[in-house]
Amino acid sequence: MTYREALRRALDEELARDPNVFLMGEEIGRFEGSYKVTAGLWAKYGGKRVRETPISEEGFVGAGVGAAMIGLRPVVEIMTINFIVPAMDMVVNHAAKVRSMFGGKVGVPMVIRTPGGAGAQLTAQHSQSLEAWFAHVPGLKVVAPSNPWDAYGMLKTAIRDDDPVLFVENLVLYNLTGEVPEEGTDITVPFGLANVVREGTDLTIIAHSYTVRRALNIADRFLQDGISVEVIDLRSLRPLDIDTCIASVKKTTRALVAEEGWATFGIGAEIAARLHRACFDELDAPVERVGGAEAPMPYAKNLELAALAQEDKIGAAARRLLADCGLVDA
Amino acid sequence: MADELVMPRLSDTMERGTIARWVVKEGDAFQNGDVLAEIETDKALMELSAYDDGVLLKILVPDGAEAELGAPIAVTGEAGEEVPAEMLAAAPAAAPTEAATPAGDGPAAAAAVSAANATAASEVRASPIARKLASENGIDLRVLAGKGSGPEGRIVKIDVEKLIGKVGAEGIAPQTAAPKGPTPAPAKPVPAALADETRIEKPSSMLKAIAQRMGESNGPIPHFYVESQIDMEKALELRKDLNTALEGEVKISVTDMIIRASALALLEHPEVHRSWVAEGLAYHSHANVGVAVALDEGLIVPVIRHADDKSLVDIAKASQDLAERARAGRLLQDEIEGGTFTVSNLGMFGVTRFMAIINPPEPAILAVGATVDTPVVRDGEVVVRPIMTVTLSCDHRATSGAGGAALLQSFKKRLEQPVLLLA
Repeated sequence: MTYREALRRALDEELARDPNVFLMGEEIGRFEGSYKVTAGLWAKYGGKRVRETPISEEGFVGAGVGAAMIGLRPVVEIMTINFIVPAMDMVVNHAAKVRSMFGGKVGVPMVIRTPGGAGAQLTAQHSQSLEAWFAHVPGLKVVAPSNPWDAYGMLKTAIRDDDPVLFVENLVLYNLTGEVPEEGTDITVPFGLANVVREGTDLTIIAHSYTVRRALNIADRFLQDGISVEVIDLRSLRPLDIDTCIASVKKTTRALVAEEGWATFGIGAEIAARLHRACFDELDAPVERVGGAEAPMPYAKNLELAALAQEDKIGAAARRLLADCGLVDA
Repeated sequence: MADELVMPRLSDTMERGTIARWVVKEGDAFQNGDVLAEIETDKALMELSAYDDGVLLKILVPDGAEAELGAPIAVTGEAGEEVPAEMLAAAPAAAPTEAATPAGDGPAAAAAVSAANATAASEVRASPIARKLASENGIDLRVLAGKGSGPEGRIVKIDVEKLIGKVGAEGIAPQTAAPKGPTPAPAKPVPAALADETRIEKPSSMLKAIAQRMGESNGPIPHFYVESQIDMEKALELRKDLNTALEGEVKISVTDMIIRASALALLEHPEVHRSWVAEGLAYHSHANVGVAVALDEGLIVPVIRHADDKSLVDIAKASQDLAERARAGRLLQDEIEGGTFTVSNLGMFGVTRFMAIINPPEPAILAVGATVDTPVVRDGEVVVRPIMTVTLSCDHRATSGAGGAALLQSFKKRLEQPVLLLA
């Protein structure tokens, strides 16, 4: 099953399970969504449960906050994470803060689903990975599954969570196929648990979302050098499962954090800081970070490829780190 | 103005030097061209001369201590000048290199061989895990200072793992794990069984350099071989007479005579009867001679302890007992440990000469061939004599060719004038 189909199945099952669950977003009904995640759901559940909105992110995210405050469970689709910017006030100042500011009496059980990622020449305003902005904010949960199983299980967990969840998908992941839980098992995947997707002994690569796939390919390539790479899929950025990362780095003594967004003040910055504190005496080299080029994404294909945190770029950073530790030639 | 005097490069291969002696004392004035100190390098004893006039304000590295190339060894300046605090701080952590105990000075306390050199521990660039591993394994990281595999010579985990010999087990690909410089063969520590009879002495810089080179060339133990032909006529006669006189109490073999001759020769040549071990040179005060006994599968080497203190009869009894129990698989662990020399005799297989491999940490092994009637020239006449060819393999880290030759000469003399075996 594809990542896209796994999301659709989770939405379908949650719509069927709980009448308070409803979907909102641009063109998610008749048109079935820009990336076809909601295909068939409007026909099945009707316009009241699969609600089309005007092109006004601040308006429909705000409507979602209000609906959630009175007890509904809105799942809001923002076409790509780039378009969340007009809704920042609703996400950061309202959704994230309501529970705390109302003494815990009212919460916002809302999910915002939105894909990040780049690589299709969509240029600077449509190629961003902004999840670090939200992982910065107390009151929000931010998850970014990398495979169909986790996409399915974590979307169900997100919908059932009583607090706002930013559910980050990735344009390149939608067609990825993989296993999903059997129908009727109602399996969910909890937040705050990273997954060691490849065990290794020489280097830990920590990643989330599509970058996990890149990390796995890099791990395969290093096998030829006799280097054993462990890959951790964070799955959940806030809450962050740093303990799994620490245990891994205490074993491998070397770590690299890779992300599709910019590395400066990014996910890698946070993880590197925590690893340096927790694993200081076990490290063989400083924790390395890799992200996209620190520039607005260019349109030209060659420049876009150069700016992306591609496999080659992450692999080269890993090789430099291993060379600094005397394990490979530079 | 106060100035630091640093360890100069006095030979191409020198990495550190030992202050053999300060010629100028603290507070003394010197002139351009005066010899300030004598420095022992890996090659030779060299003189360190002054390039200017001045006063030796402070010695930072005392007589007998080592310093890395370029490390401060003293502070010079003008008479009465204060030594700046930062120059004192730069002094090596009192490089606690023990002065070598002069040979024959009785049993010295087993000096811990410190790898200390002129680098202060805090100046060593090392990754945290490298420091942790080193400290857990009692390794002084100063030995690797500036020579690690990391950026700018930072010591990283793999460097320490190589030192503690762990890398092979973890199976890191050899081409990527290749050390950047030659790694000297690790020397085995002195076995516990020997420790109380053994005196440890620090090898000189020259000996250390030779040991490293030989080890790189033919490691881990660089062997060399010296051979001699021994006229066994008198030894065989003595053996016959003894066995007749002993009336079957015990039968003395040629091997027993070889053991006795070896033991006496070894005591006469302490420069050969010493092992290259991790702590230094281990001098053996008694000859514990192992005798290789061939088994159906492999071989075993029971040891005749203190063979130098035993008569031929005692040796014969001991070796017979050990050989019988060896073949029966009934030897005790401490009967196959603690050897300082081995005799391997393949004469009974018709082998006339061969070369044996040293059984570490022993310094040498003697390969004994068959005694063969051979035409030789004596007093201008060709005569037939029973000739035995022996080949001595020595550890070139612990001794030299001349040492091996001298030992063999001593051995030969005792078999050709076998009455000495009774002495």
